[in-house]
Amino acid sequence: MKYIMMMHCPKTGYESFGSMPKEDIRRHHEFMHSFNKKLQQAGEWVSAEGLATPQSAKRVRAREDGTPDTDGVFPESKEFLAGYWIVEVKSPERAYELAAQASAAPGVGGKPMNMWLEVREVLCAPPEQAG
Amino acid sequence: MKYMLLMQGTKADFEWYAKWSKEDLMANMNFMRTLSKELKDAGQFVETRGLAWPSEAKLVRAGKDGAPITDGVFPESKEFLAGYWIVEVASAEEAYKIAARLSAAPGGGKDRGTMPIEVRPVTSGMPEEKL
Repeated sequence: MKYIMMMHCPKTGYESFGSMPKEDIRRHHEFMHSFNKKLQQAGEWVSAEGLATPQSAKRVRAREDGTPDTDGVFPESKEFLAGYWIVEVKSPERAYELAAQASAAPGVGGKPMNMWLEVREVLCAPPEQAG
Repeated sequence: MKYMLLMQGTKADFEWYAKWSKEDLMANMNFMRTLSKELKDAGQFVETRGLAWPSEAKLVRAGKDGAPITDGVFPESKEFLAGYWIVEVASAEEAYKIAARLSAAPGGGKDRGTMPIEVRPVTSGMPEEKL
């Protein structure tokens, strides 16, 4: 079974993270690298990506003639996807365990951040076949 | 450059989608398949995934002992990721054009161009490494 583990953040999430002391950011990176490595060694790794800042996000729709209409305004309450992992696991419980590990990534002063991650199964079929 | 095209919706959007007729669902699916194929032929396709329904989503974080704490309660306003595409294109404008086409996918009796697509660059590695 494939599960996606998503890290969300508010619009200012990247600034808050970037304002941590350099040493804390370095420690956080090291943790993430070794977490990724462990997933790969355990054969649980499928893919992972990080996204650019929320400020770079655009909302796009087609105009009547099919050309893109772009807009960069989002509601204040909007959560932005900061990054995700897709893992191959035997059960949802294993996905939750892995999410808990990622959640405990070190933050300020090396203390576990214990951030929330959203975890959901990835379907084999394209999204439009759901339900 | 890699861009992520995110399809998102509130629970209400998903409930509306669940009521589509079979014909509407098929038309939508065929559209998505054709788009994927065209992106592949153009060498712009990287990845597409569809996620399970919001009712299956869990929030997970580490407790003090590192064990997972799970929660299934989300605010009404929450936008859930339904699925995404990652495309490899030469410019943001190219990504917006593809997003506009995606946004104009045939819907459940509704007019085209009703679905906004969020578009953001994908960074290589974890997002915080860009800071």
